[in-house]
Amino acid sequence: MTEYQYIGKPAQRVDALEKVMGKAKYVGDMTLPGMLYGRTLRSDLPHARIKKLDVSPALKVPGVVAVITSEDFTDHGVFGFPISDLYMLAYEKVRYVGEGIATVAAETPEAAIEGVKAIVCELEPLPVLLDMDHALDPDAPQVGPTRSDGKHPNFLGHYPVYKGNPEELLKECDVVVDQRYETVMQEHAYIETEGGLAIPTAEGGVVVYLSCQSPFIPRGHICRVLSLPEGKVRVIVPPVGGSFGGKDDLNYQTGGQVAALALKTGRPVRITFSREESILASYKRGAMRMHIRLGADKDGTLRACQFKSTYDSGAYSSQSPFTSWRASIHAMGAYRYDACTVDINTVYTNQGYAGAYRGFGNTEVCSGIEQAIDEMAEALNMDPIDFRLKNCLRVGDVTPHGQKLTESVGLTDCLLAVRKMSDWDRKRKEFAAQSATDKRRGIGVAALFHGTSLGAEGIDEATGTIEIHDDNLVTLTSGLTDYGTGSRTVYTLIAAEVLGIDPGRIRIHRPDTNTAIDSGPTVASRATMLGGNATKVAALNLLQILDWAAADLLHCDLHQLHRVGEKYVGPSEEPVPWEAVVEHAREMGLVLSAHGKWSAPKIQWDEEHGTGVPYFAYHFGAQVAEVVVDLKTGATDVVGFWAVHDSGKVIFPQGAYGQLYGGISHGLGYALYEDLDFQDGYPQSINFDQYLIPTSVDMPEIQAGFVEALYSQGPYGAKNIAEPAMVPTAPTILNAIANATGRRIRKLPANLERVMLGRVLNKKGSPVSCKVALKIS
Amino acid sequence: MLIKFTLNNQPVAVEAPPDITLLALLRDYLKLTGTKEACEVGECGACSVLLDGNLVNSCLIAAPSVMGREVVTIEGIHDADGGPNDMQRNFISYGAVQCGYCIPGMVVAGEALLSKNPHPTREEIRVALAGNLCRCTGYMQIVDAIEATASERAKKSQ
Repeated sequence: MTEYQYIGKPAQRVDALEKVMGKAKYVGDMTLPGMLYGRTLRSDLPHARIKKLDVSPALKVPGVVAVITSEDFTDHGVFGFPISDLYMLAYEKVRYVGEGIATVAAETPEAAIEGVKAIVCELEPLPVLLDMDHALDPDAPQVGPTRSDGKHPNFLGHYPVYKGNPEELLKECDVVVDQRYETVMQEHAYIETEGGLAIPTAEGGVVVYLSCQSPFIPRGHICRVLSLPEGKVRVIVPPVGGSFGGKDDLNYQTGGQVAALALKTGRPVRITFSREESILASYKRGAMRMHIRLGADKDGTLRACQFKSTYDSGAYSSQSPFTSWRASIHAMGAYRYDACTVDINTVYTNQGYAGAYRGFGNTEVCSGIEQAIDEMAEALNMDPIDFRLKNCLRVGDVTPHGQKLTESVGLTDCLLAVRKMSDWDRKRKEFAAQSATDKRRGIGVAALFHGTSLGAEGIDEATGTIEIHDDNLVTLTSGLTDYGTGSRTVYTLIAAEVLGIDPGRIRIHRPDTNTAIDSGPTVASRATMLGGNATKVAALNLLQILDWAAADLLHCDLHQLHRVGEKYVGPSEEPVPWEAVVEHAREMGLVLSAHGKWSAPKIQWDEEHGTGVPYFAYHFGAQVAEVVVDLKTGATDVVGFWAVHDSGKVIFPQGAYGQLYGGISHGLGYALYEDLDFQDGYPQSINFDQYLIPTSVDMPEIQAGFVEALYSQGPYGAKNIAEPAMVPTAPTILNAIANATGRRIRKLPANLERVMLGRVLNKKGSPVSCKVALKIS
Repeated sequence: MLIKFTLNNQPVAVEAPPDITLLALLRDYLKLTGTKEACEVGECGACSVLLDGNLVNSCLIAAPSVMGREVVTIEGIHDADGGPNDMQRNFISYGAVQCGYCIPGMVVAGEALLSKNPHPTREEIRVALAGNLCRCTGYMQIVDAIEATASERAKKSQ
């Protein structure tokens, strides 16, 4: 194995110091002289026509400077990709509780709230569509946009994978599992709420500091909705306090709102959300209902999978076309089948709206398929790990999509490692023999695969830049954002490795549309693969310039050069320091900067026939949970957790482990209590006293490890980690609960009631807390 | 009203309305933005500060109630030279920081714990942090950093 100086070695996060000192400036920490505060009037009905909207009374409120509505934007501010159905502020209709209608800018936050209260907004209620199963009924209320192809307006898309005919094959199988599984909405719960700050520029443009994932996307939206040329809109991403997929569409609205208000008033305008506003307004992980049929032979050979599901996109499409597509690709799990079909239908409703959230469709389907796989193992009387080992994908296998896997498939090693690490075999035996007390112990496993980067979702390339400045400081840019993930450190280590210099010499700029190069969205766990490769190419281009200078300085050919630490050594000369080579390059007139562009390998997907090569590489992993379930209270305590993942080469170990631990915490919450429940279209938990996320005492000690099945096209063989870290956690815990209690919970979350009673008590919901929050927050 | 108290070992006097929280006083009137606002209902701990040495959520404390008392914020936690102290250095070296938004509160909570219990077990550290939410880290490396700090301080004091 290649020995590296910095790759895979202990390193420190490049932005940790400012954060531990409390000096990092998030958007909400920034103030400017004369800055105005924005506040948005939001819908308190789940579906309504805007009958009257008069903002003039708000303008008479002392301190209010401006108010904007959809009329202040070009084409009413419509935006969105891939389907343009969202508005910067609602136009004609509102489709969910919390949707923005008008934004006030005022001298103080208090005056902004008074301004919001003064707006005259008459909403005429429309019939509400709450149940995804009835979205396509002929008489269902219309939520989605009218279609030209004659299809139901609430139909968003159909996402298939087709291999053979499982319907027929299931008849031949010795054992069939036929079950329904369901997931609910999950709130991202980033600790920093949404926010943006716009500053008008001297040339009539605007600079927007925006807590978001992908700065070039809001720049495009802002240019279009305000009819500004690209050169007049600059988006800068300050430190982002967590995102997990959540700071895209909604905060692009925030960006558009502050930009419009800054241009209208000629003053800086900042919006920061309260927690209630954040939870009400923002998109969630969407709910999914699955019907899974699996067939296997008596010897444990998995043969057929039929997966049918409905995915609820809520009021807007947001990222759901992509989420649903990723869900379809991963719906059958990381296994071989003779026949496999997947059909996912995605629909509009008035249940808030769904968008990107860590795992992006795979988290949802994995919770279904990995339980079904466990149920099949049980029906076959096989150990769940043995059953997975017998059927899981290996190098040389052809996936149900028709893709031959030629390299970097570490799933078998992950399963074997996690089995050993968790002491699985002993515990399975021991727990099977436990006496029938109220406290039951159980252990469960789940596996996953997860396509790296965008796959057939879109053009997949990135460009990084590198420059050596007069004081020999090396700077990097990337158009991809580090919203806590550690990618800036990954890029720093890659540049240091290529150039053979101490990482301390390198600084990485924040994503800024004026200095970085558009590298697509920071999504799909693509930062290490795409941005890492782009940084590597840029650094190699710069290294070549320095090598020419070193050869000239040392009077030798390029191939005679070698490095000792940072120093360059030629065949006969004394070693020269890196600075001397840099200085010599300057004297030679060489420009010490470079770009590096990396394009992902070509892939293709046939949307109609559900076949092709959906992703160029896959992450694999396996997790094991040990639980103690109290049958009297329904409380599940996760007392041990083990995770082994194949991320390819791990570049920044401390960061990769952090991603894994953090992903598991999202998955533990998803498994046991997180449920952004809607009653009649109103979310029932709008702050952390109602929507519970795991605390330090809820999280177990986690033992984690990596299997490094190198991917030849990844930077140093790296793949990805952020999303796949959470994907298998919920089914891992659900399988452990089933092992402990002998009862299976097929609808998430496995909260106290479901564990104790097998069902949820009928709670009467109320719109009151939402309505109160919308009035005063 | 004039609110006088000791802030990070310095006497301060601020003119502020009586009906605001300590969090608002710190962020909006004293421009100390290291203390974060994230829920305003005392659930998340992002606004943690020390009040007379005790860990509190500054969003739940009425600003006038700190009159004559001692408040320490993240800006008051550092080494003698103004750089990171041992706890903060360990947060960096153990990888406890991701997005960083909860981290000032976590550092304050860690200091509050070690001031009262210099030799905590990992379980005691977890209990002490239970009022501070982090959505990024799963808490593992934060517990590691505080545990390491406790053990280093114990060695030093021997």
